Amino acid sequence: MRAAGPTGMDLWQVLLTLAVAGSSNAVSGSEATPAILGRASQSLQRVNPGPGTNSSGKPQFTKCRSPELETFSCHWTDGINHGLKNPGSIQLFYIRRNTQEWTQEWKECPDYVSAGENSCYFNSSYTSIWIPYCIKLTSNGGMVDQKCFSVEEIVQPDPPIGLNWTLLNVSLTGIHADIQVRWEPPPNADVRKGWIVLEYELQYKEVNESQWKMMDPVRSTSVPVYSLRLDKEYEVRVRSRQRNSEKYGEFSEALYVALPQMSPFACEEDFPFPWFLIIIFGIFGLTMILFLFIFSKQQRIKMLILPPVPVPKIKGIDPDLLKEGKLEEVNTILAIHDNYKPEFYNDDSWVEFIELDIDDPEEKTEGSDTDRLLSSDHEKSLNILGAKDDDSGRTSCYEPDLLETDFNASDVCDSTSEVAQPQRLKGEVDLLCLDQKSQNNSPSADTAPTTQQPSVILAKEDKTRPLLISGSESTHQAAHPQLSNPSSLANIDFYAQVSDITPAGSVVLSPGQKNKAGMSPCDSPPEVVSLCQANFIMDSAYFCEADAKKCITVAPPVEAESRAEPSFNQEDIYITTESLTTTAGQSGTAELAPSSERPVPDYTSIHIVQSPRGLVLNATALPLPDKEFLSSCGYVSTDQLNKIMP
Amino acid sequence: MDDKGWSLKGSLLPLLLLVSDLLLCQGVTSLPICPTGAVNCQVSLRDLFDRAVILSHYIHNLSSEMFNEFDKKYAQGRGFITKAINSCHTSSLSTPEDKEQAQQIHHEDLLNLILRVLRSWNDPLYHLVSEVRRMQEAPDSMLSRAIEIEEQNRRLLEGMEKIVGQVHPGVRENEVYSIWSGLPSLQMADEDSRLFAFYNLLHCLRRDSHKIDNYLKLLKCRIVYDSNC
Repeated sequence: MRAAGPTGMDLWQVLLTLAVAGSSNAVSGSEATPAILGRASQSLQRVNPGPGTNSSGKPQFTKCRSPELETFSCHWTDGINHGLKNPGSIQLFYIRRNTQEWTQEWKECPDYVSAGENSCYFNSSYTSIWIPYCIKLTSNGGMVDQKCFSVEEIVQPDPPIGLNWTLLNVSLTGIHADIQVRWEPPPNADVRKGWIVLEYELQYKEVNESQWKMMDPVRSTSVPVYSLRLDKEYEVRVRSRQRNSEKYGEFSEALYVALPQMSPFACEEDFPFPWFLIIIFGIFGLTMILFLFIFSKQQRIKMLILPPVPVPKIKGIDPDLLKEGKLEEVNTILAIHDNYKPEFYNDDSWVEFIELDIDDPEEKTEGSDTDRLLSSDHEKSLNILGAKDDDSGRTSCYEPDLLETDFNASDVCDSTSEVAQPQRLKGEVDLLCLDQKSQNNSPSADTAPTTQQPSVILAKEDKTRPLLISGSESTHQAAHPQLSNPSSLANIDFYAQVSDITPAGSVVLSPGQKNKAGMSPCDSPPEVVSLCQANFIMDSAYFCEADAKKCITVAPPVEAESRAEPSFNQEDIYITTESLTTTAGQSGTAELAPSSERPVPDYTSIHIVQSPRGLVLNATALPLPDKEFLSSCGYVSTDQLNKIMP
Repeated sequence: MDDKGWSLKGSLLPLLLLVSDLLLCQGVTSLPICPTGAVNCQVSLRDLFDRAVILSHYIHNLSSEMFNEFDKKYAQGRGFITKAINSCHTSSLSTPEDKEQAQQIHHEDLLNLILRVLRSWNDPLYHLVSEVRRMQEAPDSMLSRAIEIEEQNRRLLEGMEKIVGQVHPGVRENEVYSIWSGLPSLQMADEDSRLFAFYNLLHCLRRDSHKIDNYLKLLKCRIVYDSNC
């Protein structure tokens, strides 16, 4: 019967006292209020705030309500001893604030009748919105209750009227139906002029149920209700509230919805959702799938469950190296590794097979990479490189000498090894073209002078020798004396990347370069020099021997010689595909190069490993890679190789 | 809430552009917007009012929530409720207090009143935000609501000025509004007094936002729907 719980009422009572007290502060010169205050506080203290306040018999306000924001009314209770006390002695007084001032006097309720018994009705002339009101209840002159509020806070609209429903449709099964429920807003709420805006809540239930189902509040006066069963009967009711308020008004009368009868053709029974069947079949299906999966992917599953222990294929840094404290080498290794794609080797079975295990101490002094590779020093080199595992393939990129010597970055399989450029350049092949190449990469003082001279031969003994998995010793040696240095023709191609190793032990190098052996030193005349420069496709890692040949205006005999040798060494020499492109644009001299003889496969498998310095290559024709690949001047860097390698 | 389309430029343009812009603006199912930079694109009065009502409703929602939250968190047991029957700073503006008065007042005057009330709240809202920020243990939701209210109030003010420009073009009244002097009380050292000042301010805000909301809904029905909402 109370609008608020006992706690609320207690609060109200306390606050009522303070309200008057507080309001008195704002009122200017109201002497009456302090007296009221005193009495109010006393009465409040007497009125015990707590459950069962009613038992004290004091009249109390139950609620004040405005249905349409134009009028309001307040109700109270008589107290338990209804009738025993003097009836009619209860009075209600109100006071409202008029423009910052409380009116001095409490006025009596204008209408005790219209709102029923124990109520006071304030019609629109007495009602001001957004103005604070305070009302008090007196019994026999003594105040028993007090309350303060604003009219917009107590809005509770009347229930909507005119509920009706229409059938929207019936489901195909004939079991369910949708209906549309419509109503009118309460008549006293002036919705048309927009003075009050209402929202509605609809509730429905089956006739014999006890729990109402609620729908979300809507602003319109009609709402569809879906999925009602045709064989049941329903009740619908609506209530409204002012938007932004929390309190709803009363419910309308329940509307009885009698749906049309179910046709006899409809399904007798609503098919219950076959949970059981679904679960059974679901489990069955999943099991089938699982078995299928297992049986089809046995291998893969085995791999998943018991993955094979990977064999280390990637060259890491030998921990001994670290222990020894050779940071420089470590750095160089890291620099190599920077661009090195380990994946390149991962799946290549040949990696495990290559083993260039040739001892030749003499080679070391010469300093050719090939020699080093094939020499016994390579063991040390291997160690240095950390390639303790013989599984790892070693490409020309990984020249052990690099660690010891100046780093010949061009030998590295990619073009970004500029770190080593300066070092490398010292021992640069003195072939003009090579110098030019190095010049392109990183002009260094060392090479500068050399490049200008067509036939400069670097006199430096610096090691970096391009790895030359060259052909026979003879070619190598033939080339060697021609150059005072590592910069033998044989060394033109710095490194040939070992790209494959056949099970037979042959090494497939990529890209094969034809006929590097026996090339005369770079004596190219200036025009050829320029040709060289122009045609030089800078793949810093590799240098086409073909390009080198362009630069070299080799004397025919030399060429013949070299040609002879290459032809002899056809098998020995790894073949370059580059030769195709480079030779295409070459002058006649270049054409003499054996490399133009025929399409050169990228890789040639090594047929025999001639110890100590020969690798006999199989002249296997391999499919040519893209032009793009070819543009790298015959040598394939690792990433290029990756492109073409599966 | 959308604040698209508040841009209303008043330059001269060929009629064709105006018509096409109008069509553009009104063709969108959602709130139509004027393309940015479009001149002379007139959002219709109906849409302006729709947006204004949405904003005012939203602001009132936020104020109510903010007040309730503050009430629950700080004001319980402090007896603020009754003390807050203090006047609000906007009480000096003579706004209609019931339906009859609201219906009798001319809509231009009512619009100006609304503008005044909105302007009067610019300053208090700004300070409310900064003070809530400084308030210890102020819940984040309260601060975010305060910020939102301030922003939406500004938008609503802009929108109302546009509406006034359409309904009552040419007349520009002086910027009248009530001064708010409650800042010192918001910054009082005494926590009780300070909290009561907040309470009062929030109570007034809720009340005034309800007022604005009501006036706008009334005006919308009157002007746009010809008293037949």
